[in-house]
Amino acid sequence: MTPEADRAGAAPSGPGSSLPVVAEVPAVDAHPASQPVAWRHRHLLDVDVLTREDLELVMRTTDAMSEVLARPIPKVPALRGTNVTILFYEASTRTRVSFEVAAKNLSCDVVNIAAASSSVSKGESLVDTVRTIEALGADMLVMRHGVSGAPYLAAEVFGGSVLNGGDGWHAHPSQALLDLYTLRSSLPGGSLEGRKVVILGDALHSRVARSNIWTLTAMGADLWLCGPSTLLRGFEAWAARGAAGRPFTVTSDIDAALRDADVVMALRIQKERMASGLLPSLREYAARYGLTQERLRAASPDVVVMHPGPMNEGVEIAADVAVDPRSVITAQVTNGVAVRMALLYLLAGAQHAGGHP
Amino acid sequence: MSDVAVGLVLRGWAVDPASGREGAAEIAVRDGVLERVTWLAGADAAGLDPDGMLILPGLVDLHAHFREPGNEDAETVATGQAAAAHGGFTTVAVMPNTTPAIDEPGMVARVRAAAGASGSPVRVLVHGAVTVGRKGETLAPLGELADAGVAGFSDDGAPVHAAALLRNALAYAGSLGLPIIDHPEDPTLTAGAEASEGYVATVMGLKGWPVAGEAGAVARAIAILADTIVDVPGARLHLTHVSTGASLAHVRAAKAAGLPVTCDVTPHHIAFADEWIAGSRRWAWEAVDADGLPRDPWTDGSLVAAPFDTSLRVNPPLRSPVDAAACLAALADGTADAIVTDHAPHTDVDKHVEFGWASNGISGIETALPVVLAAVDAGRVSLVRAVEALTTGPAQILGERQGVAPGLREGEAADLVVVDRAGTWMVTPETLLSRGKNSPLLGRELRGVVRLTIAGGRVAYSAD
Repeated sequence: MTPEADRAGAAPSGPGSSLPVVAEVPAVDAHPASQPVAWRHRHLLDVDVLTREDLELVMRTTDAMSEVLARPIPKVPALRGTNVTILFYEASTRTRVSFEVAAKNLSCDVVNIAAASSSVSKGESLVDTVRTIEALGADMLVMRHGVSGAPYLAAEVFGGSVLNGGDGWHAHPSQALLDLYTLRSSLPGGSLEGRKVVILGDALHSRVARSNIWTLTAMGADLWLCGPSTLLRGFEAWAARGAAGRPFTVTSDIDAALRDADVVMALRIQKERMASGLLPSLREYAARYGLTQERLRAASPDVVVMHPGPMNEGVEIAADVAVDPRSVITAQVTNGVAVRMALLYLLAGAQHAGGHP
Repeated sequence: MSDVAVGLVLRGWAVDPASGREGAAEIAVRDGVLERVTWLAGADAAGLDPDGMLILPGLVDLHAHFREPGNEDAETVATGQAAAAHGGFTTVAVMPNTTPAIDEPGMVARVRAAAGASGSPVRVLVHGAVTVGRKGETLAPLGELADAGVAGFSDDGAPVHAAALLRNALAYAGSLGLPIIDHPEDPTLTAGAEASEGYVATVMGLKGWPVAGEAGAVARAIAILADTIVDVPGARLHLTHVSTGASLAHVRAAKAAGLPVTCDVTPHHIAFADEWIAGSRRWAWEAVDADGLPRDPWTDGSLVAAPFDTSLRVNPPLRSPVDAAACLAALADGTADAIVTDHAPHTDVDKHVEFGWASNGISGIETALPVVLAAVDAGRVSLVRAVEALTTGPAQILGERQGVAPGLREGEAADLVVVDRAGTWMVTPETLLSRGKNSPLLGRELRGVVRLTIAGGRVAYSAD
C-alpha cells in the first residue's frame, strides 16, 4: 500500500476501483460487491479525506437506506454474514445503539463490547484487543475511544474496516455525515451553498465541531464557530488557514454569529469545564451563550436548530427551542441510522473491491 | 569492537572547532594516540571536500536517557553506548530520570559501573537529580552527588516547578561549580498536553502545549538566576531542549545582559515540525514559505504518512515550522550553545498505544548527526557551527572538571568520528543499535553515514 493510500484509509487499487461513478441511488437490497460504487475508502477514520463526490455518494446511499427504513420491515439482506463488532471505550447510548440498529437492518451479525466490561479493564492494550476481535471473526470494527487518533492505531492492525464512532476531540465522522444529511433534507433546495451555519458552544472539546468544519465547508456553507474564547482556543489558527483552504469564521460575539443564521447547531457543555477554569459557571454560560427563543429571533425565520445530543436543556439550549418546530434534533437521530447503514454498506463494498477476504 | 586503534591514516575534510580550522587533512592514529594532523593544500588536497569524508572530533551529547536502572527493555547503558558510537558520539551525559532516580552517590556509581563493564570506550557522564526522587519537593544531596562526580543537576522530564526550590538549587549548585540543567515547563499550562498548541493540534483534536508553557518558565528561571548571581557569582543555568522562538528571545536577551545562561536545541525541534503528526515528512525548513510563514499541509499535498504516529510524541512537543526555524536560527547565531539528542528510547509496550497515552520521547542519538547535516545541506547553518554545537559547545557547558575537550590535537588519545557525508543509509529497526526503535525516521533514507568512531583511542564503532 502506498503511504498516500495508507493515510487516506483507501483500499488498495483493485478491480473495483476503476468502475464508473453511478449518479443514481445504489440498489442496496443486494451486497455492495454487486454494485458499481465509486467508494475507495477501506476505513472511515476522519472526514478530512472525503471529497465532495464522496460526500454526495454517502448522501445518495443514505437516501436509499432511508427508503429501506420506510418499509414495513426495514431490513435488507445486503450484508448477511458480515460480522460487525462495536467496541466502545466511552459511555454512549445514542451512537452505539444507532450503529447496532444500522448493522442489524443490513442483516449483519453484531457483537457489542463495552470496554469497561472486557479484558480492557484488566489492562489489555488496544492493539491486542483489536487483534483478538479480528481473530474472533470481525469484518468491521466500529469503535469509540476517548483518545484522539485511537482508531488509526486500530486500523493499523485490523484486517477489516474500521469505522470511527468518535475519538477524543478529533473526529466523529458519522455524526457530521448525519448532520449533513439532515440539513440536506431540511434546507430549502437541499443545498448548503452560501448558507450561514453556526456551531455554538464548546468547539475546543468537540469532535462533532471538528468533523462538521470539514464537511460543511466542503459543501459550501458559510460556517461560523461561536462560543466563549476559552472554548475556541486554537480555532483562530485553523480559521486563518481554513479547512483545506475553505474559509470559516470564529467569534465570541453571539449576536454577530446568530444574525440571519440559516442553521444553528448547539454543542453540549460539560460540567468539567468549570472545574478546569474554562468557564465561571453554567449559569453564566446559559445567560451568555444559551440558545433561547429570544436569541433565535436574530436568525433567519426558517432557521434550522440542531444538537448532536445528549442535551443539557436550560444550559446550551432552552427546552422550548429543543422542541420548536424548527428543531430537527429528532430527525438527526433517525437519519443517524440511515447514514450508518450507508457507511457500513459502502465500506463493505470497498473491502470487496480491495480484495479483502 | 573496542580494540585500540593501532594504526591508521585517515584522509578527509576535517573540521576542528577547538582550533578553528576546517579543511582537507590527513590524520594519523597510532596505538590509540592521534599522532599527527597534516592540513593539506593544493594537489595533496585533491578530491577532499566537505561533501566527501568528514573527520570530526568525537561528538558530545549533554542530554540522553539510557534507562538503566529500571527500564532495561528500552535501553541499557551498554546498548546506549553502542547507539551513541553508531551516531558518532564519544561522550554522553545521561539524565537521572531512571527508576529509581539518580539522586544519591550510589546510583551514580551504579551507572558508572555499568558503563565500565560494557567494554565500550564511549564515555558516560552522569547528571544527578536536583530534588529527591525528582519530585520537586526537597533538594537532593547535591554536594554528595558533586563529590561523586556528576556533570550537572537536572530533574529532566519534569521542571523544578517551585520557584523557591529552583532558586536554592541554582545557588547551591553554583557554589559547587555545577550547572542546573533546567527542563523549562510550567505544568499548570501543560497538564495532559499532547501536541504544541496551534493549528495542527486544533485540527487533530490534540490537547495543546502552549508556547507560554515554556517561555514563561524560561523567563522565570532567568529572573531567578539574575537574583542568584548577586550572592553566588558561580551560579549557572542551562536550559535544555528549548523549542520556541519566544523562549530563545528570552535567552538571547539574558546573554546580551551578561547572565551566565546557556541553552541547547534538539535535532527534532530544528528539523521536524508539528505537522509531522498529521502525516507530513518534509523537513521543518521546507514547511515555511519565502516569507517565513508556515505552509498548510492539508492543502499542499504534503500529508504522506499515517497521522498520530506516536514516535512523534515528545516533550516539549514538536513545534510549528516557525518555531523550528527559530531554533535553527538560534543554533546558527550561537544563542543555542549546543545540540543535544534528548535520546529517549522506549519499548513498543510504551509506544505502540494510543497517541495521548504514549510515552514521550524519540530514539534519536543515531540519527542526530544526519539530521543536523540535512540542515547544513539546506544552507540553514554552517558545517563548522553545527560541529561546534555538537562538540566544543556542549563541552564548555560541562566545564573543564569533566575533562571533556573535543579537538583534533596531536599527542592526545584519538577521539574522533569519520562520516561519509554523501553516503546514505536506511533507518530501520535493524540498523538502529539502540533498543528504542521509536524513531519517526524509520523507513527513511538519511544522508551521512558514520564509518568509524574512535573514543579515547579505542574503536567504539566501525562500519567496516
